Amino acid sequence: MDNPRQKGVFDHLMMLERKEAAILQRHQNERLEELRTTAATLRAKKDRIRVETSAIKNLKAQMDKGLPLDDDETAHFVKLEPYLLMSRRMQLRDLQTAHRLIAGYDLFESKQGKSVCVSFHTAFEGVCLETYNMEMDLNRMVQISRHNIPPCIPLEKLAKENLQTDFKGFLQTLDLHLNALAGRKQQITLVKELVGTVEIIEKNQLCNFLALVCKAPADTDEDVLCTLEYGDLTRCLPTHVAIDGENKTLIASPQWKEHQVLLMETPVHSALLTMRKLGSIS
Amino acid sequence: MEEKYEEEIQRLQQEIETCEAEREECLRAISSQHGETLQRILKTISVQKDREDGVINQAVSKLMTEISDLEKDHRRQTDISGISLSECCLKTLEKSNTKTIQQYRLTGRCWLLSFQVEFALTEIQDGETILKKVTDFNIISDGAEFKDLCGFLSSAEESKSVFLFFRTLRSFSERCKQRTCTYQHFKEKYPDVVQLPEGCRSEIMVIQSPQLPGCTMSIFWNITVSKEGTVKPKIDLLMKMPEQAQKLDTESVVESAPGCFQSLLTAFGVEATIESLIQSVCF
Repeated sequence: MDNPRQKGVFDHLMMLERKEAAILQRHQNERLEELRTTAATLRAKKDRIRVETSAIKNLKAQMDKGLPLDDDETAHFVKLEPYLLMSRRMQLRDLQTAHRLIAGYDLFESKQGKSVCVSFHTAFEGVCLETYNMEMDLNRMVQISRHNIPPCIPLEKLAKENLQTDFKGFLQTLDLHLNALAGRKQQITLVKELVGTVEIIEKNQLCNFLALVCKAPADTDEDVLCTLEYGDLTRCLPTHVAIDGENKTLIASPQWKEHQVLLMETPVHSALLTMRKLGSIS
Repeated sequence: MEEKYEEEIQRLQQEIETCEAEREECLRAISSQHGETLQRILKTISVQKDREDGVINQAVSKLMTEISDLEKDHRRQTDISGISLSECCLKTLEKSNTKTIQQYRLTGRCWLLSFQVEFALTEIQDGETILKKVTDFNIISDGAEFKDLCGFLSSAEESKSVFLFFRTLRSFSERCKQRTCTYQHFKEKYPDVVQLPEGCRSEIMVIQSPQLPGCTMSIFWNITVSKEGTVKPKIDLLMKMPEQAQKLDTESVVESAPGCFQSLLTAFGVEATIESLIQSVCF
């Protein structure tokens, strides 16, 4: 009853199955082999680091006791040398990291010294925000070739003022502008979190104009409109604050006069929080 | 079998990480506790290497190149930022896959103003983004100039504004430097007329002609720093004259002097204004 063709198909299928199993087996073997090599490499690495660590510990103990290390050029000292160098490298790397962090901007040479890249790190109240980069060609004249500074920053004006004459001054002023912008932006983000207390009804790209409606406390129904103008683009605080509302006696009250001063002197989100605590807004 | 290897790999990776952290801490401890010894030994190593002709261990020579590159970079950073860091003590307080807390203790100078700050930086990995923020900030500083910064320092500490602190310190120190240089310049140019009773770094400069012992003009050059870190100089003139001379002052010159001084400042700048004041008493 064997149908040769049928047999052929079964055979073929069986062959295919066997083939697949073999491939699978091979893959598995390969993967196992790979894992074994990785594990072996890691084991070796671990042992090496362990040996190094204990050697460094010994070195430190020796230094703690004040024992001389370099009184003779023994093989022992030659072994210690790399660790001392590593310690110095560690120290310098930490300094570099710290310096990058606190300086606000950093500079790198590129294209074999033909151009420099500057990156500006912005932050507000300890929170790190955007980083901006700028590449400058150093021909006879310093020229900005590429950058991702927001268009609302008066970069051209700042460059005209002191890019050629006072490079460090230029970097510092630009850094001030970028940080002020980042600070104003961040304040808006933080104000948005005060849901139910205030509503932002108008703002702009440069974040130098902000109109807010402060919700009145639950028992009253008198919302107050605050408009903040940031006339100095190097600052995070407004130069003009206006308070308006339907109830003129309320906005002329000493309490709201104080709030106006508060809004001038403290970042807007913290001023609003204080006002909420005092019960002026809901 | 596969699982066994995977487990081992994971365990090894963790062990390596712990071991590396331990090694880093130990290397840091050597450089921070034995800084001077380390410097001395490194100097002798580099001298020895210079003498020997090229028979250096490859690993050592690679480390030496790395160190010299880092040193060069350190000088460049100092030059461009105006902040000179002399010591950095870094400690990892917490480390996990998503969160790292590192504590920094930095000592350094900005022009002549020395500072020491301590802060903790928390990094939280949230998907693709990394949130970095300062979670603790302390400023330990001394020096006469810092008394003008008091209000700002406490508000910076409170709002954890490490970066604002350094930005402000930089512009503040530049103003201080300008004041000191100006005062020194006049002291050298007119040693008989100009006095700096509290030294060249203080805010007071006194102009007094030897021919007119009773008359003094004191310049108070204060550098104010607002809570938000805006640095502004404020220069005032204070005149002092004996009573007899005041009686002769029919056009009330003494009274109007501070006002005139301010107009001169806006019109000609600090140096030209002080110069003209000195000229007025040097016949």
